[in-house]
Amino acid sequence: MARLSLILALAGKDWRLFWADRRAALLCLAVPVVLASAFGMIFHRPTPDATPNTLPVLVVVEDDGPLTARVAADLLASPRLDAKSVTRAEAEAAVAERRPAVAVVLPAGFERLKDWQPGVSGERPELRLLHHPAAAAERQWAEGVVTEVVMRRLAREKFGGFLHGKGEEVLAAPFRVDAAAVSAGGARFNAYSHSFCGMTLQYLLFWGMESGLLFLRERERGVWARTRAAPVPVGCVLAGKALATAAVALVQVLVTFGFGYLAFGVAVTGSVTGFVLLAAAACGLAAATGLLVAAVGGTEARARSVSVLVILTVSMVGGLWVPAFLLPGWVRDVALSLPTAWAMRGLGGVTWEGLGLAAVLPSVLAVAGFAAAFFALAAWRLKAGERRLRAGDV
Amino acid sequence: MPPPALSLVDVRARYGGRVAVDGLSLEVRRGEVVGLVGPNGSGKSTTLAVAAGVHDPAGGTVAVEGVTRAADPAGFARRVGFVPQGGGLYDELTAADNLTYFGRLYGLGGHDLRRRVVRVLARVGLTDRAGHRVSTFSGGMRQRLNLAAALTHDPPVLLLDEPTAALDPAGRDALFADLTRLRDDGHAVLFSTHHLDEADAGCDRVAVLDGGRLVACGPPGEVLRRGAGRAVLYGHLRARPPKFLQRALRRRLGPGVELEVTGRRLRLGAATAADLGAALAAVLAEGLELDTYRTPAGTLGRGAEDPV
Repeated sequence: MARLSLILALAGKDWRLFWADRRAALLCLAVPVVLASAFGMIFHRPTPDATPNTLPVLVVVEDDGPLTARVAADLLASPRLDAKSVTRAEAEAAVAERRPAVAVVLPAGFERLKDWQPGVSGERPELRLLHHPAAAAERQWAEGVVTEVVMRRLAREKFGGFLHGKGEEVLAAPFRVDAAAVSAGGARFNAYSHSFCGMTLQYLLFWGMESGLLFLRERERGVWARTRAAPVPVGCVLAGKALATAAVALVQVLVTFGFGYLAFGVAVTGSVTGFVLLAAAACGLAAATGLLVAAVGGTEARARSVSVLVILTVSMVGGLWVPAFLLPGWVRDVALSLPTAWAMRGLGGVTWEGLGLAAVLPSVLAVAGFAAAFFALAAWRLKAGERRLRAGDV
Repeated sequence: MPPPALSLVDVRARYGGRVAVDGLSLEVRRGEVVGLVGPNGSGKSTTLAVAAGVHDPAGGTVAVEGVTRAADPAGFARRVGFVPQGGGLYDELTAADNLTYFGRLYGLGGHDLRRRVVRVLARVGLTDRAGHRVSTFSGGMRQRLNLAAALTHDPPVLLLDEPTAALDPAGRDALFADLTRLRDDGHAVLFSTHHLDEADAGCDRVAVLDGGRLVACGPPGEVLRRGAGRAVLYGHLRARPPKFLQRALRRRLGPGVELEVTGRRLRLGAATAADLGAALAAVLAEGLELDTYRTPAGTLGRGAEDPV
């Protein structure tokens, strides 16, 4: 009971220190919200059912033949393209800026296509695609759409008599494509859910780091000597520090997800218990990270530099910035050794994937296990450091 | 006869690979103020750290009212109030929050703690500043609050490490008035300084340390007489001089003149009054401005380095 009272006194002091500078505290809570919102907006795409996707392209016509004019008109009228006619120079300037990423050029000589006969080989006219170097997917998409448009036009030109009066459906593909998104819970990816989970986790780690740096700073001051002179076991100091860090982390989780829910509809569609357990484990991970920073960081400046590098790396590799499914396979394999990947997998599961408690329990256990291991390592190092300090081995 | 409030017997302490305290024996009784005097690096702070229980001695015994830290760590800690060097307070918290926090570390709580906080704030004259943040306090107010934080759990022994380092003359006098009152209330007070005039002004006994060894101990007048013969000047600077200026000044003054600067406090020692006058002129020529200075009738200086 006496120890619990001590731990609460130590944690209460850190809690008051956090709120002592209200503006700094509010900024600390606001930054992940702002970043998560920005990431969500950047990566958010309308659902496929809501709005048909069209590819923005520019069309450059350099041949004045009638077939070329009809192909250009078909391209501009295609429901799969958001096409606009421009000059070659305008197209090159726009594509270099990726506004848009692809331009279709019907060059001089394209009109020779009207002489094409099925099964007859010979020199074929050229159709040129200009594309931004980083837009390989858009180039392939444009190539597919353009091929379809040109072949339809050619079919109409060559088999006009046969098709007479039979309508456009004759040229339609003889099959129907049914696209379906597949995920563990049958849910669609939600960029806002992902960004709020990712940024919350990243800033929990940053808060843990900051707490560790505060601890290092505190140990340089007279207050540390006064605390050491008091009848306070080192274990209570560490527990108090961890409790305060976890409490602030919990506030951060509540603020970030609360804002995400109200502003962008980020919701727990899976197990609420799983979400609560994951949030608690992640807060514990932040607290343990803070103690670890204080235990192995050495000086404050050194600890800050190394911690920022490590946190950014584990955030990136753990899929906190971009969804893990966009990362190469080997990165996803490496990420399994990181708590961030497990935490992200679990939070993604209970938010946009709609998974149940059993499905996210391995993530909860993994994050809690990492937190316990970090705490044990930090406590061992800090207690050993205290023994050396008492003995004058510095 | 009750045991002394604080007893150090043949205490040895290491700091890194260096022997910081070597065979020190010293007792401080209730109702007594003892000044620990010596130049920088003489072992004053380490002695206080050992007495406060934050540094384990490599040998010897430290007991507070007969209780050793090894036998009863919590009991030992509750009997000691420690005022560390450089301020042991949270600037971001209010005076009352600081005292409440440190009181809780000593197992205090509830109404009893609130009553004690009110009492110690009144004792150091900071009642009207209870709700103000420490960051808004002057140096003197901070030091008084520092003292209050060590008094909240009402320990019999008070240990203060360089309590006057950041104080102006008025603040220093106020602190010594507080220490005298604490002595009259039955506390045992041990504080460190390397300004002998302070020890002369506020101590019942002076213990002189050099190289980690106790080289003199007794009433201030007696110890001062042993060291008489050197001319010493104590001053209070208008601003703290940068380190490079202190180094340049030491080179200019030469080996026969001692120059010690602690915060804004200055101690200048020389073999004769004429040498001291020349040294003072050199200090002033470097642009250091003195608010006040005085030359005590009897001074110790480095003359006391010889074992007594």
